[in-house]
Amino acid sequence: MKLKFTAIASLTIVAASTLILGSCTADADSSGLEFMPDMYRSPAIEPYVDYGEIRGRENKAVKMKLSAFTPPSYTIPYYGTDSSKVMMMLPYHRKAMLPFRETHGMYGVDLSANDEYLASAVDVNPFKLTATNSEEIFKAGKTLFASNCAHCHGDAGDGNGPMVASGAYAGVPNYKNLTITEGQMFYSIYYGKGAMGSHSSILNKKEIWTLVHYVKKFQNAEYGKFDANGAVAVPASID
Amino acid sequence: MRISSSQMFRNFSKWCLGTISAVFIAGTFHANAQGDALFKAKCASCHQTHKDGTGPKLFQVRTKWADGGAKDGSIYQWVNNWQAAAASDPYAQTVTTYSGAAMQQFPELKKEDIDAILDWVDAQPDPAAAAEGGAEGAASPTTTAVEEESSNGWVWIILGVIFAVVIGAVSGVRRQLKSAMADSVGDADNGTYTQEFKTWAWKNRKYVGLTSLVVVIALIVSSFLGLYSIGVVEEYHPSQPIQFPHAVHAGTNKIDCKYCHNTVTESRTAGIPSVNVCMNCHKQVNGRTPEQQEQIAKIYEAAGYIPEGAGKYTGKTKPIVWNKVHVLPDHVYFNHSQHVVVGGLDCKQCHGDMTKQVETQKVWPIQELNKIEGNIVLTKPTLTMGWCIECHAEKEISTGSIDTKNDGYYNEIHKRLLKHGKSLYGKYLEDGKVTVKELGGWECAKCHY
Repeated sequence: MKLKFTAIASLTIVAASTLILGSCTADADSSGLEFMPDMYRSPAIEPYVDYGEIRGRENKAVKMKLSAFTPPSYTIPYYGTDSSKVMMMLPYHRKAMLPFRETHGMYGVDLSANDEYLASAVDVNPFKLTATNSEEIFKAGKTLFASNCAHCHGDAGDGNGPMVASGAYAGVPNYKNLTITEGQMFYSIYYGKGAMGSHSSILNKKEIWTLVHYVKKFQNAEYGKFDANGAVAVPASID
Repeated sequence: MRISSSQMFRNFSKWCLGTISAVFIAGTFHANAQGDALFKAKCASCHQTHKDGTGPKLFQVRTKWADGGAKDGSIYQWVNNWQAAAASDPYAQTVTTYSGAAMQQFPELKKEDIDAILDWVDAQPDPAAAAEGGAEGAASPTTTAVEEESSNGWVWIILGVIFAVVIGAVSGVRRQLKSAMADSVGDADNGTYTQEFKTWAWKNRKYVGLTSLVVVIALIVSSFLGLYSIGVVEEYHPSQPIQFPHAVHAGTNKIDCKYCHNTVTESRTAGIPSVNVCMNCHKQVNGRTPEQQEQIAKIYEAAGYIPEGAGKYTGKTKPIVWNKVHVLPDHVYFNHSQHVVVGGLDCKQCHGDMTKQVETQKVWPIQELNKIEGNIVLTKPTLTMGWCIECHAEKEISTGSIDTKNDGYYNEIHKRLLKHGKSLYGKYLEDGKVTVKELGGWECAKCHY
């Protein structure tokens, strides 16, 4: 009788422990044990992730529902002591055109019914090249170009970047064939043009104007060169 | 491979087309080269030969217009001035509805130029057909990225339980037999398991004592090691909503890390690209294999984009919720721009060689990071404090040297050190370099609020 009882008891223990162990499910996305979990998943919304935690409670309604956002309009900061640079960072006065909603996803921004691309032809680069700053601007332009443009447009600006060379992408123009003005270059980078998307969410106005200088250098190697007197060697406009 | 009759016909017609165009090429080579150059200069930024994009595909567009009932010569007028053509020809009017983007006017192109362009376009082979043939043979890289999730752990647990039950049963039988034997002999010693064990242990007390000592020490050591592994997240590889292959983007296509992670030079966080950045390329790139197309369709869904025809944004966007891989606790302040811009560190020092990472990102273990050329060799596990300060003690500050004209933070420190006396500087320079640590990189408040 006693034997039977121990046998039943041990079997029950084995069965129960199997069941209990079986109910342990590991969260595949867990990074493992932490010393202070509330320090890793805090009530404050962290960049790109919302754990929905409030003092140990979990708000399932907001947990992991959102990730990266496009910066809202007019939130690119502009500041500084140099008034010309501050003016350069003010919101862009040209608007995207109505069709840009469907072609470039320009929802939630101010749009214009007029052809603002055409109008932007008269805009001039407020970031003036001088004998002292041109080298610095082209250097900054080169860095920006390498990270933001070169994969399609190519290191030489010939429209034959690694994206095009690998066969992933087609239809990138050679800068030398472009006949648009610097204002239109800015407009195209800011709102996108044709297959190219808008870069206003990743580049600020100063960076775009820097890139415009750099692109014009591809079109004309003499662009932005100054003679010994600090005078412009060639006219700034080659259009 | 079975070739259906329609395929055969297509192949045959392609062959015919190829032969005809080859004949044409021989005859009009000069015109063709001119067409190629003109197409690339004037048309290629919006039109492709075999794929609709910003503008419709141009392959056999003259036939298309003629079949559509366009007036003779209206296609040439369209290229020169599409508004005028649309006003005079009803078919041209229908073409204006292709997309919201208006075509540029090309009044400088003569009829011969346009014919040269379109002749060249019609002579181009369809790259999609070529890719289809190639895709059948070669397995896509994304298929290898799908991870095997099942583990063998449960099999071992079940086997272990069965083994324990068998041992219990056998020893139970043995004991019953023994007690039955003892009963028959008349021995009164019918001890329980515990009593039996006690006698056995007492008999072999030397070995039992030694073994239990070893076991206890081993347990203590292993539990300490276990405690040390808390908060170590090497090899952490969470699931992601999209099987993003860094190898294709940063490797094959050589896109700079800073294009997608564009806040890395400005901000504390490197930045997960918002979907509009993905769309800068993926508006056109929609995947070659079904696996790729399936993943890229998720981008389209998130961006609210309908890729059919000219492509169209609907404005109905949906966030992509990525799982964060590198998570630091809140009491640690880490700034990407400080490390990338000021420190001049390469991303691969901490994140590994992404040009070869086919799967989604993980926390690279230190052993793998050490293998990468140009990395500072460290010993502590990735993303632990030991790892951070070890690097701070190793990494030389090369930027902000005393020679530069900038009045930066590091120059100021250099100046103060010089003022303090050459002896301290000399001590720092014993190993030939000034490290982050020596300029305050080990101060608690640098990283802890």
